[in-house]
Amino acid sequence: MNALYLAFAYLRYHRARSLVLILVAALIIFVPIATQTLLSTSERALVARGEATPLLLGSRGSQLDLTMAALYFSEERPAPVPMREVEAIWDSGLGVPIPVHTAFSSNGFRIVGTTLDYFDFRALALNDGRGLSLLGDAVIGADVAEVLGKGVGDALVSSPENLFDLDGVYPLEMPIVGVLAPTNSPDDAAIFIDIKTAWVIQGIGHGHEDVVTAEQIAAGTAALAEAAVVQYQRITEDNIDSFHFHGSQDNFPTSAVIVVPNDTRSATILKGRYLDADGPTQLIEPAGVIQGLVDRIFRIKSLLDVVTAIIAIAAVAAIGLALFLSYRLRAREIVTAVKLGARRGMVLRLLSAETVTLLLTSAAIAAVGATIVSRNAEAWVGWLLALGN
Amino acid sequence: MFRRAFLIGVTSVAMLATWPTWAQDRPRVVAVNYALQYFAERLLGDAADVVFPVPDGVDPSFWRPTIADISMIQSADLILLNGAGFATWVDRVSLPRSKVVNTSASIEDKYIVTESITHSHGDGGEHSHDGLASYLWLDPLLAIAQAEAISSSIKRRGLAPAVEIDERFQALKADLEALDNRARESLSDKPVSVIVTHPRYQYFARRYGITVKSLEWEAGTAPTPEEGKELVALSEASGAKILVWEAAPPQAALDLAESFRLKSAVFPPLARRPESGDFLESYNAFLDDFVAAQSGN
Repeated sequence: MNALYLAFAYLRYHRARSLVLILVAALIIFVPIATQTLLSTSERALVARGEATPLLLGSRGSQLDLTMAALYFSEERPAPVPMREVEAIWDSGLGVPIPVHTAFSSNGFRIVGTTLDYFDFRALALNDGRGLSLLGDAVIGADVAEVLGKGVGDALVSSPENLFDLDGVYPLEMPIVGVLAPTNSPDDAAIFIDIKTAWVIQGIGHGHEDVVTAEQIAAGTAALAEAAVVQYQRITEDNIDSFHFHGSQDNFPTSAVIVVPNDTRSATILKGRYLDADGPTQLIEPAGVIQGLVDRIFRIKSLLDVVTAIIAIAAVAAIGLALFLSYRLRAREIVTAVKLGARRGMVLRLLSAETVTLLLTSAAIAAVGATIVSRNAEAWVGWLLALGN
Repeated sequence: MFRRAFLIGVTSVAMLATWPTWAQDRPRVVAVNYALQYFAERLLGDAADVVFPVPDGVDPSFWRPTIADISMIQSADLILLNGAGFATWVDRVSLPRSKVVNTSASIEDKYIVTESITHSHGDGGEHSHDGLASYLWLDPLLAIAQAEAISSSIKRRGLAPAVEIDERFQALKADLEALDNRARESLSDKPVSVIVTHPRYQYFARRYGITVKSLEWEAGTAPTPEEGKELVALSEASGAKILVWEAAPPQAALDLAESFRLKSAVFPPLARRPESGDFLESYNAFLDDFVAAQSGN
């Protein structure tokens, strides 16, 4: 007890030096733990998204681009697949296909055109407002709402594809009707719309002045309208009935199709149908693609581990040296203590108490830091992954 | 495994639907017209509620659902669409594809294309819309195909035991075949030209070799003087002797047709529930009317 009291008094007296030693030791303990926690959480998050998506159908090409576009809503633009591929899977009865149209963006966030089945599939819940109901409706992820400061009742405008794209992709104003609860996944940074609204942005569907009404079109009684007419850039209660689509929906595009097979047998049969390397489409397992990517990233992590270990050894050596030099500087002080009657063991206990107090304090600080990182790892990783988009 | 988890999720969301009127345990099927509602009711019996959500007095093909209606439809277990351009609102509403069934998907090659409309806007150049006749169920054989699609989807979603569904489908099919036989015996041997008050009967006319000339009259109302003149002109041009009304008109309208030597028959197109009877009774009543009109009684 006396040794601990004296050790604490000594450390307090030399508070600046003690603080530096404590912080350095705390960092040496904390950094590898925090790095490991964040990396393993990243790995879990990346792989979990892939594993939660059984199969992915898309145009033949880069599997990574397809996966990144459909699962993480990245900038990649895989060649579109026609909706007849979606219908083919429905007709097969082997699984549920969910189209994902990710060609457009708004305010830096990806617009995801899909069907209502996507929300059930990802178990997305609303925090505010309602789900998609009408053509033009938008439901935004939690991060979109926070970053843009928008909510139910506000509107978003789709970004034009490029300044020189005059051939159909006009900005469309979309009312926000719902905000999703946060999921720490790429869904937080997405703007969800019905895939039909995505086709309206693309110019496949549109509404325009009342030259031909939907009723006349359906009845086949409208006359020939020759004049070019103005298209609407906003879907409202007054003009929604004029919106219509051209051509067969089977030919309309989607970026990719998430396929949820009925069971393992159905998945195997489906995969067999898309094995032809000359076919225009491919059916992939995103988990495998993501795992390949993660393995590649984590090969770099091994290098990082070695670097961390070397730095840790160097830092421990530096602390050891600092303590050793400190003891050398205190040689006269120790001699005085011995002359006053302190035994050699007492001196050793005193020095050990100082070192243990210093290391325990460092460990406590590192533990607090590691706990904070561990508790927030999922949110921070989700944010970091979203930054990549 | 994936499918089971997904379906559990879908079912849970459906069960959490907040449309108080429909907060009940039985599955719910939504149909976009009465014909599909009738087929589904025949197939499901008491196993599910079959809902036709369009209010009275609204043409189901051009109905615009409210957000509450859409919410109710989205939470249904099965959504029966007619296809062929019927119910244009489905193109402007978000529906869960996993619950939607296009009952005419297998008979798209039998669609009747009506007049094509060409127009242009934006930089897309000139393009066309093909109009499609949508009252498929007035041809009983096409009605059987639609009923079969409903039967398959009910079985796939497990809304009722497959054996019972198969038995009920066979009974419904037999009824529709009997209706078709009766209509063929009554109509097909006698080439006939008729005028109809609304262009609804293309599939009926094609099935039984009837030449149809269409007016654009409001259902259940007496024609205006201009419409009367239009009727005379069409009657003289076509040589038609029978005028088919889509809803029972006022007596004055029947008298007017009679004065032009046109016999009247009422044939509700069955997109809505008829005022009396069901699908088969209404269709048979029309055949009675039509045969009587042909024979001049």
